[in-house]
Amino acid sequence: MRRTIRLYRRLLGAQVRATLEYEADFWIMSLSAVLVQGIGVVFLWAIFESIPEINGWRFWEVVLIYAFVVISEGLSTLFTQGAWTLAVTVNFGQLDALLMRPFPPLLQVLSSEVGFNGLGNLVLGIGLVAAAVRHVDFTWSPGRIALGVILVIAAAGVKIGLNLLTNCAAFWLRSPYSMFAFSMHTFGELARFPITIYGLGVRIAITAVLPYAFMSYFPAAAVLSDGTARLLGLLTPLVAIYCLWLGATAFRLGLSRYESSGH
Amino acid sequence: MKVAAALEARPLPADTRMRHLRAYRSMARTGLKSLLAYQTSFLFGMLASTFGALSMLYLWRSVLSAGPRHGFDWPQMKAYLLVAFVAGSLVSSYTDYRMANRIKQGDVAIDLVRPVDYQWSRFAESLGVAAYEAGTAVVVALGAAALLGGVPLPDPDTFGLFVVSALLVFPLRFGIVYMSGLLVFWTQNYVGLQAARIALITLFSGALVPLVFLPEWIQVASAYLPFAGMASTPALLYSGSLGGGAAATAVLVQAVWSAGLWLLARGMWSAACRKLTIHGG
Amino acid sequence: MPTHRPEPRRRSDVDFSASVVGLASAKVHDGSVTLIQAIGLRKVFRKPDKAPGIRGSLRHLVQRRYSEHVAVDSIDLSIAEGEAVAYVGPNGAGKSTTVKMLSGILVPTAGQVHVDGLVPHRARVENARRVGVVFGQRTQLWWDLPVRESLELLRDMHGIDRSRYQERLERFDSVLGLGDLLPVTARKLSLGQRMRADLAAALLHEPRVVYLDEPTIGLDISVKDRVRSFVRQLVSEGTTVMLTTHDLSDIEEICQRIIIIDEGRLVYDGNLQAVKDTHVRERTMSFELEDSLLGADQIAARLPGARVHLESNGRELAVTFDRMTLGARQVLSAVLAEVEIVDMHIDEPAIESVVRKVYAGQLQAEHGGATNSEPMR
Repeated sequence: MRRTIRLYRRLLGAQVRATLEYEADFWIMSLSAVLVQGIGVVFLWAIFESIPEINGWRFWEVVLIYAFVVISEGLSTLFTQGAWTLAVTVNFGQLDALLMRPFPPLLQVLSSEVGFNGLGNLVLGIGLVAAAVRHVDFTWSPGRIALGVILVIAAAGVKIGLNLLTNCAAFWLRSPYSMFAFSMHTFGELARFPITIYGLGVRIAITAVLPYAFMSYFPAAAVLSDGTARLLGLLTPLVAIYCLWLGATAFRLGLSRYESSGH
Repeated sequence: MKVAAALEARPLPADTRMRHLRAYRSMARTGLKSLLAYQTSFLFGMLASTFGALSMLYLWRSVLSAGPRHGFDWPQMKAYLLVAFVAGSLVSSYTDYRMANRIKQGDVAIDLVRPVDYQWSRFAESLGVAAYEAGTAVVVALGAAALLGGVPLPDPDTFGLFVVSALLVFPLRFGIVYMSGLLVFWTQNYVGLQAARIALITLFSGALVPLVFLPEWIQVASAYLPFAGMASTPALLYSGSLGGGAAATAVLVQAVWSAGLWLLARGMWSAACRKLTIHGG
Repeated sequence: MPTHRPEPRRRSDVDFSASVVGLASAKVHDGSVTLIQAIGLRKVFRKPDKAPGIRGSLRHLVQRRYSEHVAVDSIDLSIAEGEAVAYVGPNGAGKSTTVKMLSGILVPTAGQVHVDGLVPHRARVENARRVGVVFGQRTQLWWDLPVRESLELLRDMHGIDRSRYQERLERFDSVLGLGDLLPVTARKLSLGQRMRADLAAALLHEPRVVYLDEPTIGLDISVKDRVRSFVRQLVSEGTTVMLTTHDLSDIEEICQRIIIIDEGRLVYDGNLQAVKDTHVRERTMSFELEDSLLGADQIAARLPGARVHLESNGRELAVTFDRMTLGARQVLSAVLAEVEIVDMHIDEPAIESVVRKVYAGQLQAEHGGATNSEPMR
C-alpha cells in the first residue's frame, strides 16, 4: 500500500515536470482556470444580489454547496486528471504500454496527467469555505470540523469515481473524444445549487443514477445539519466508496474488451 | 513559401470570383460533413451545453418566483436564456479545434498554398457547421421550453431587428473563435486558450444572465467589448427588453464589431504568416 | 513490500506456485521448461455495422449488427525457456494480435495462455515483472519526459535497486549507445534512437521472456545491426525471445525456430534450418570463367537435374541445383572439368523464399517441422 502510494506520487510528479516543460501552457491553463472559477463566483453574487434565498437556502449556505463542488473538482483535477485521457489512450491503442508495466493499469491511467487548474479550484474553494463559515449561522465544534474534512474527502471520492465511470465509456463508444464524459460532467455541475430547485426527474437522476448530489448538496447539508438532506449527507463516504467501485469495475470490464488497435 | 503573394488582395476577374464562390460553397458542405462524421461527439457536446442551460433555467425559475428582478419576470428570463443558448451554440464545435490542430501540427502550410483565401475558407466551413449547430440548438431549446411551460413569442415591435441581430451573431462569434484559433501560432496550446475564451464570452456576452444583473464594472466593460452582440443583444430583442433607439444602436454596434473583428483577424493572420515564414512551420 | 530484484536467469525462479492451471510450465520432452504455452488461442474482433449518418446510428441502437473478424484462429504454441522464435506471416495474419494476447494486453476470445506459470491478462502486474515487450511502431516511454526519467520510473516500478540499475545502464550504454539519449525527451528522439531507448526500457528488469514486435522496422542498417547483435546476445544469455518481423535478416540472424501464420492460422512451426532444408532446396552457384564458352551443354550433361545458364558474353555461368541430390563439390568439379574459373560464389538459401511460398499459398499446413515433399518448381 505504501509502495503503491509512493509510486503514484512518483508518477504524478513526473507528469508535473512534463507539464512544466511547456511553461506557457502552464500559465495559460492556470490563468484560464482562475478566470473560469472567478466568473462562477461573480454569477453567484449576481443572483443573490437580487434575492436573499433560494428555496430556503441562504446565500452563504449556497456558497458552501458551491465550494464543495469547486473543491471536489479541484482534487479530482489535480490528482486524477488522467481519467480524461482514456478516450485517446483506449482508442489509439496507447494502453498497451501501460499494461506492460508492473503497476495497476488503472492507477497509471489516473496519474497520467496533472491538471494544474485544480490548484485554482482549491484556492478558490478554500476561500469560499472560509468566507462561508464566517457568515453561516452555527457553532463550530471539533466534531463538526472533523465531519467537514471527512465529507470533503468523501465528496471528492464521489467526483473521482463518477469521473472514472463516465470516462470508461471510451471502451464502448470507440471515439477518441471524451464528449460523453464531458456532458455528464456538466450534468454534475447541476449540483452546484440546492437540488430542490430542479424538477423531480433531475433530482432522482442526480441523487440515485449518477449521484453527483453527493459531492456537494448532501454533504453540505450534513455539515450545516440542515433539513432532511442531512441524514443522506452522512452517507457520503459510503456513496464515495460505491462510486469508486463503479469506476474501477467499469475500467476492469473495459479492459477485458480493449482491442488495442491496428490488429 | 510565397505567403506574401497569397496574401496580396488583388481584385479578381469576374469568372475567378465565381470559381471561388463555388469553392467556398463546397467548403461549407465539407464543414457540415466533417461535423456529421463526429456526430455522436457533437450531440454529446450539445447535451453538455443543454445541461448548462437547464441549470440556469431552473435556477432563475426558482429565483424569480419571488417576483421580477431588474425588469425581468420568469417568462422573459426564459426567453432570454433560450435565445442566448442557441446563439452560444454557433461556431462552437469545429472551426477552432480543426484550426488549432492544423497549426500545431504544421499542416497549415498546406492551407497556405491553396488558391483560396484562408479566412474566407474557414468562414465558409463554419457557416456550414453553424447551420447544423443552430438547427440542433433550436430543437433542444424548444424541448426545454416545452418542459418549462412554453416560451413567449418574440416582441413584434423589435422582431425585424431581432432577425438582423440574430444573423449578426454568426460573424461576431466567427471573428472571436477564429482569432482565438490563430493565437495557437504563438502559444502552441489550445486547451487553455479555449477555456479562457469561453469564460470571457460567458461573462461579457450575458450568456448566463442578462448583463444588468452583473456588477457595474462588467456592464461598463461589456459596453466597450464585442461580446454583448454574441448573446445579450439578440436575447434582449427577443424578450422585448430592448426597444426604440437603444435597440437600433445595439444592432448597429453588432454590425460595426462584425466588420471590425474581420479586419482585425486579417491583420492577425498576416502577422501569423510572417511568423510562420520567418520561423518555419 | 520487499523490493523485487529479478534474477530471471535461474531456472528455480519459475513460479510454479503461481500457476493457475496445472499444465502451465509443463515439462517438455528434452527436459527444458515450457515458458510460453497457448492452447486453442482465438481472438475475434467485433465491429459494429453502422450505416452512416443519424439514421444509421439510430438504427444501430435498435437493431445491433456486428461483423466478426477472426484475427487469430485456434493457435497452439509451446515455447521452451531460452528459445528464440520467429513469428512470421503477411500483414494482417494475426501476428501482433497473438503477441498481444501472450503479453496480456488482449483478452483471448477463447483458448488458454500461460506464460511462466501465469495467465497474462489475469495477473497483469506480476506478468509485467517477468516479461518485456517492444512494439516497433509505438513507444513505451513517457512521451514528454527525458529518457532517463522514463527509465527511473520503470526502475521504481520494478523495484530494481540502484547499483543494479547502474549496471544495467552501463550495459545498455555499451551495447546500444544509450548514454547520449538519456537527457533527450522521448518525443524528440529519431526512430532509431527511440528504438534503442525502448529496448532499454523493455529489458531494464531482465525479463525472462521478451516479445519483439517489428523491432527493426524503419531503422537504418547500422542501427538494425546493433539491435540484432543485442538481441543475439540476450538469446545467448538464456532469455526467451519471440520475434515478429517482416525483415528476414532479423530471423536468420537471431532465431533457431520459425512459426508461420496466415489468416490467423498456424501454417508452419519448426526448426529454421529444417525449413531451409525442406523448402529451400535450390541453390545457385555462379562462376566467372577464364575464357568465354560457346555452349554449356557439356557441363549440363555432367550434372543431371541441374539447370545451367550461360550469359551471352560466354563468361558468366550459373548452375542451379537441388542441394539434396547434388553437392556443391560435385557441381564445382563438373564445371572445372570443362573450364578454368576466375571466381565463384554460392547463393545461400534465404528464408524469404519459404515465406514467399507461404504467402502464395503453396505451403501446406504442418507441425513440428515434419518434412514436406512438395516438389520445387
